[in-house]
Amino acid sequence: MSERHAKTSRAAIALVLALTATGALAASAAETAIATRQAGYKKIGGAFKAINEELKKDAPDMKLIAANSAIVNTQSQQIPKWFPKGSGPEAGFKTKAKPAIWTEPAKFAAAGNALQTEAGKLQTFAAAGNLAAVKTQVRAVGGTCKSCHEAYRAED
Amino acid sequence: MAVDPAPRQGARLWDGPTRIFHWGLVVLLLVSWLTAGENMQVHRWSGYGVIGLLVFRLWWGVAGGSTARFAGFLKGPKATLAYARTLGSREPSGTPGHNPLGAWSVMAMLAALLVQVGLGLFASDIDGLESGPLSHLVDFDASRVAAELHEATFRIVQGLVALHLVAIGYYWLWKRQNLIGAMITGKRGIPAEVLQPASVVRLLIGVVLAVAVAWFVAKGGRF
Repeated sequence: MSERHAKTSRAAIALVLALTATGALAASAAETAIATRQAGYKKIGGAFKAINEELKKDAPDMKLIAANSAIVNTQSQQIPKWFPKGSGPEAGFKTKAKPAIWTEPAKFAAAGNALQTEAGKLQTFAAAGNLAAVKTQVRAVGGTCKSCHEAYRAED
Repeated sequence: MAVDPAPRQGARLWDGPTRIFHWGLVVLLLVSWLTAGENMQVHRWSGYGVIGLLVFRLWWGVAGGSTARFAGFLKGPKATLAYARTLGSREPSGTPGHNPLGAWSVMAMLAALLVQVGLGLFASDIDGLESGPLSHLVDFDASRVAAELHEATFRIVQGLVALHLVAIGYYWLWKRQNLIGAMITGKRGIPAEVLQPASVVRLLIGVVLAVAVAWFVAKGGRF
């Protein structure tokens, strides 16, 4: 093997390694984004589930509802950060996020805003201890979950 | 067609409670199927009804009329295989009531439905909005798993019901036996009376048990 050939193959190896590393980084960034948003949504789902279950009781604990409403509201503010470009199904990881999230960003952002607005109201009503308003408002919050899931989350 | 005209005057085969259980289950299964993911309040009510019916049927399987009792119709593998070998014959089944093969089909349907309805109790939708009455006993992840299994086991229930319908069609066309009529009228053209009915007290105990369990579950296990 001539020295020139050796240099070329070293360069080639270096290039391959660099490309692999970049690919791995991109992949892990997508993987992290997916894991982050799934954890976040699980917090929202868990908190919202706790609220709805509390409301089934004869005397719901408003403090518990207020605390969980705060979780829903806080987490919903994070949604815009949860969908970086490249973290869709094309990344090759398990995700139910539909490509439409990135092809129609304005509509997706509006869907997220709808949750933030309704969740904000829910937190306000819960903090004020207004049970009747909370009962109506959970339907509004749930409606924003549902419509966004129908548009942007793949069916189970 | 020389189909055995079941609704004619004949010996009693199925008691009233068994028939009400059967057709009640048919109705509630259809309601549950149609309301799944559409109207969850009706879906839950329907599920409570199914629980009540299943509890009643389990009680009736040990305390009910003779033809509804598990011990009366469940047979071992030998008898079941022996019966299975006669399936191709055009002779009507000689067993009054559940034949050995049908008996296992009944048990499979009951077991699948118990799992089905049991999973539904703990299930929650992806939005955390709709949930079964016992979902508060498990976390969100577990209730999502329950929901996914609840969907999967419904395929099994559908398969077993399809098999049940195919079997009834087969008996009708091949063996000229009308099994549906007997489940409606309770009577079948069989030579001797086979049904030994259970007492009204036992019926009442079954109804109270069924309502109590369904009520307890519907209330989320809280009194």
